[in-house]
Amino acid sequence: MKSEYNSIGKNIQRRDIVEKLTGQANFCADIALKDALSLKVLRSSRHHAVIDKIDVSDALKIPGVVNVFTAADIPGKNLMGIINKDQPLLAHDKVRSLADPVALVAAQTDEIARQAIKVINVTYTDLEPIFDIEAALAPGAPKIHKKGNTLFTRRIKKGDAGTAFETCHTIIEKKYMTHAVEHNYIEPDAGAGYVDEDGTLVIYASTQNPHYDHKEVQGFLGLKDDQVRIIQAATGGGFGSKLDLNVQGFIGLALYHLKQPVRYVYTREESYLATAKRHPFTIHMKTGADKNGKLKAIHIRAYCNTGAYGSYGIAVASRSAVHGTGPYEIDHVDIECACIYTNQPFCGAMRGFGAPQMAFAHESQMDLLAKKLGMDPMEIRMLNGFKKGSINGTGQQLIDSVGYPECLEKIMPYYEEALTNWVTEKTTPFTKRGIGIGGMWYGIGNTGVQNPSTARIELDQNGRVILYTGCADIGQGSSTILTQVAGEVLGIAPEAIQLVVGDTKFTTNAGATSASRQTYISGNAVKDAAEQLARVLLTEGANKLKVSKTALSFGDHSLQIAGHPERSVAFDWLAKRIHEKGVSLSWQGYFDPETIPLDLETGQGSPYATYAFACHLALVEVDVLTGQVSVKKIVAAHDVGRAIHPENVIGQICGGVAMGVGFALMEAFEFGKTLSMKDYHIPTCADMPEVIPIIVESVEPTGPFGAKGVGEPALIPTAPAILNAVSHALGKRLYSLPADLESVLQASIDSGHFGPEEKM
Amino acid sequence: MADFKYIRPDNLPEALDFLWDNGQDTAIIAGGTDVMIDVKSGKLDKKYLLDISRLDELKGIELNGRDLCVGSGVTLSEIYTSALLASNALALQKSAVNFAARQIRNIATIGGNVAHSSPCGDTVPSLLLHDAIALVADKKGIQHIPMEQMATSAYMSSLTPQQIIVKFILTPYQDGYADFQKIGRRKELAISRMSMAAFVKKDSTGRISFLKLALGACTPVPCSMGAVEAFLTGKVPTRELLWEAGGLLAERMIEITGNRSSTIYKKPAVQGLFMRILFPMVGS
Repeated sequence: MKSEYNSIGKNIQRRDIVEKLTGQANFCADIALKDALSLKVLRSSRHHAVIDKIDVSDALKIPGVVNVFTAADIPGKNLMGIINKDQPLLAHDKVRSLADPVALVAAQTDEIARQAIKVINVTYTDLEPIFDIEAALAPGAPKIHKKGNTLFTRRIKKGDAGTAFETCHTIIEKKYMTHAVEHNYIEPDAGAGYVDEDGTLVIYASTQNPHYDHKEVQGFLGLKDDQVRIIQAATGGGFGSKLDLNVQGFIGLALYHLKQPVRYVYTREESYLATAKRHPFTIHMKTGADKNGKLKAIHIRAYCNTGAYGSYGIAVASRSAVHGTGPYEIDHVDIECACIYTNQPFCGAMRGFGAPQMAFAHESQMDLLAKKLGMDPMEIRMLNGFKKGSINGTGQQLIDSVGYPECLEKIMPYYEEALTNWVTEKTTPFTKRGIGIGGMWYGIGNTGVQNPSTARIELDQNGRVILYTGCADIGQGSSTILTQVAGEVLGIAPEAIQLVVGDTKFTTNAGATSASRQTYISGNAVKDAAEQLARVLLTEGANKLKVSKTALSFGDHSLQIAGHPERSVAFDWLAKRIHEKGVSLSWQGYFDPETIPLDLETGQGSPYATYAFACHLALVEVDVLTGQVSVKKIVAAHDVGRAIHPENVIGQICGGVAMGVGFALMEAFEFGKTLSMKDYHIPTCADMPEVIPIIVESVEPTGPFGAKGVGEPALIPTAPAILNAVSHALGKRLYSLPADLESVLQASIDSGHFGPEEKM
Repeated sequence: MADFKYIRPDNLPEALDFLWDNGQDTAIIAGGTDVMIDVKSGKLDKKYLLDISRLDELKGIELNGRDLCVGSGVTLSEIYTSALLASNALALQKSAVNFAARQIRNIATIGGNVAHSSPCGDTVPSLLLHDAIALVADKKGIQHIPMEQMATSAYMSSLTPQQIIVKFILTPYQDGYADFQKIGRRKELAISRMSMAAFVKKDSTGRISFLKLALGACTPVPCSMGAVEAFLTGKVPTRELLWEAGGLLAERMIEITGNRSSTIYKKPAVQGLFMRILFPMVGS
């Protein structure tokens, strides 16, 4: 089939692929600055304590120690946080967790810096620490922050759930628990910096949001816009944790005082201790349906433990509440999700912002309802799933691009085949097979808040196109996709576009690389910029070629009369002429998705302009004698609106499945116990199932060429599908993640599979 | 990084000479997959690092009459690909299948795995199964140490600082059923939570005529399970009998370890893993 597009939908070579494959990409740890000092932070030795005194005199005596900084050395505002500012760069009055930074050492070598932090003497007065939600909410509990231990509660109220439950034929009410999870990106957090000739602090960062870093560092140091420059270095993954300022603030503070190059590269251990985790959730979910399986009412009370600081906790609570219904139409909704402070190291954003935790619960509920009603799991999802015209829990009508039914339809043949032939096939003794479905929806962009992106496109006098974007490509491929969008508008090959990415001296804010928002939001901003440039080119082309603008089309760096390529005018000629006329060759693009903020009491509104949908089918084998689970296959159907780069979409799906396998079966970060990768298991390639990705394109009219997003959706349905499959295999359900060896073997024992005879 | 001097002798006598004088201050490195972790963390407090990875005297797998000899410097990858081991020590060969990950298998050695004395060393149960004897050398001579005596407790080897394991001498098992399996938190690159090696022979009447069984990662030092061997020998293996034997194995394990928090899982899992390994003996 011939595509109507030149660039969109094409698997062009990724922008950074040669550098990455040949080892030439410069990650922060590779940036060699002459005479760079090493930085190292002393972290709290207490969970919760008042700092009485910090004595750095012994550290300063060590040869090679250049200086030691504390909160007193921060000239500006010592608080950070993208949503709520509650986290000091360096602790000043008290510490709230073992990850809290207390003092910053600058020394000639890493080794000297490590020695120095050992001899900094901090005197504390201990306060009672709180680790779990119950203790944090108990009457009279010590307050971790002045405002109390509840950071935020998102409420979604629609209809009358209480009354509706009375009329329900079947009600399922369960409690679900999930664990803290570490992002475990391959590149631990790192940064480097120097002071430019004009006094600008230049900071290289491994980051998902350079323009936010810029504002935050300015704030700490009380500097003006142009006195700080953040450059995003090659970034080896983020998954949400590089949305926080991990080392950028320390680099800035040291540069401010020392005016000498510095670097800070976290060890894996420090990255584990000091950076955000996925929020552990406790979810009480009650779902009611009529006798035909039509969902009537849902009641959810959920709590997420954000640890010592908010980070993205408010966004996690808010998004998880909105997504609590799952991709299903329910008239009566009563949801509350609270984000609670404790003295654990802080939790923040991680791929999905609470939606993966919630999906585990709502998809388990769907299977439980189906079983109780004697329905097929696919049938109950088909019956209740969002379709065009559906109204979600926030009262928003889903008008276009609702590909959930199509995702289910694409999965159906695999489901039926697996149910009929695979599950029933004879296997090795004591191995039980099961299959499971996981569905999801995911709002693209931030929840009910304005989150615009900007971009700039420039045509130089030689006819070359340069795209400036603040959108951090952290390995997910946004740079490639943005050039495809611009190239499509301007009729040029994406490879021919020069790119300037994530450098606050040259780029403008594209918002965070998070919330699966960059393709949709920054893609639209780039498209807007490219269209503005296209307009002036068309005007000047029409002048030159003496035809109407509608008769013109873009060729290879030229405009031509459609059907007459010999009658054309090149971009460089046009650029000179436009410039001579005093018209700009540099155009700014802007896009902010249409949202309506959620009402604080009822949660009604339009939190997102568009949603992605997906359904996964998992095929698993459970060893009933040992509790080992092997995921054999995942079929993953994703409605992405339009796949601008299909291979990239498939890459996201496969990566998401890997992360989902980990979330489902093995990943559990234990604060204080999990120190490094030896204590923490993410799946290896040996644990990976066969993945069959299916791209569904339910075109989004407001998206760039119809595109939405896939980054987080890729992960969300995997764990629910696997857990439903394990339950199918054993006839016994698990309500906690991960489904590790212990809990699966216990389920096998409880369901009577553990024994010398094989139970059918 | 730890501060030490790196030494690479050309042959075994040179290595033994060096150890005779400096053994106390020396860490021996073969594949390095355990030592390098201590080097990086700064825990290695030795003056010297003696690299024995290229000593020819520690290489090779060969069958000399009734002695199956495996050099201590043989890598896990070499064990995995050895046809000689596949036909004479299948359980040992299988213990190399999922040992750590491929990169580690390519450099980690069997001698290092044994000398490290981790309770979870994956080659140890199979060596116990084959009544392996370690041939251990120092400057003054050779000593033969049975596998049971190689480790005194978790991470404590019985080797003196002057000694190097040269090779292991195994009793080869040809016709019979052999297996090694392990349980980890993921399929590769996971420390064994439990491992088990077994060798079984049945006579013409279907009775178990010979059984060897060894358990790893459950006790401070991997151990043979004589009580279970005695219980099953001479009997026709049925599902119920194997299940009972698995229960006995779990009891034996708890006798050694006492009840720990991990026992809740390990007790049934030992029984289950035993069943899974021995089940092919039922019927056929």
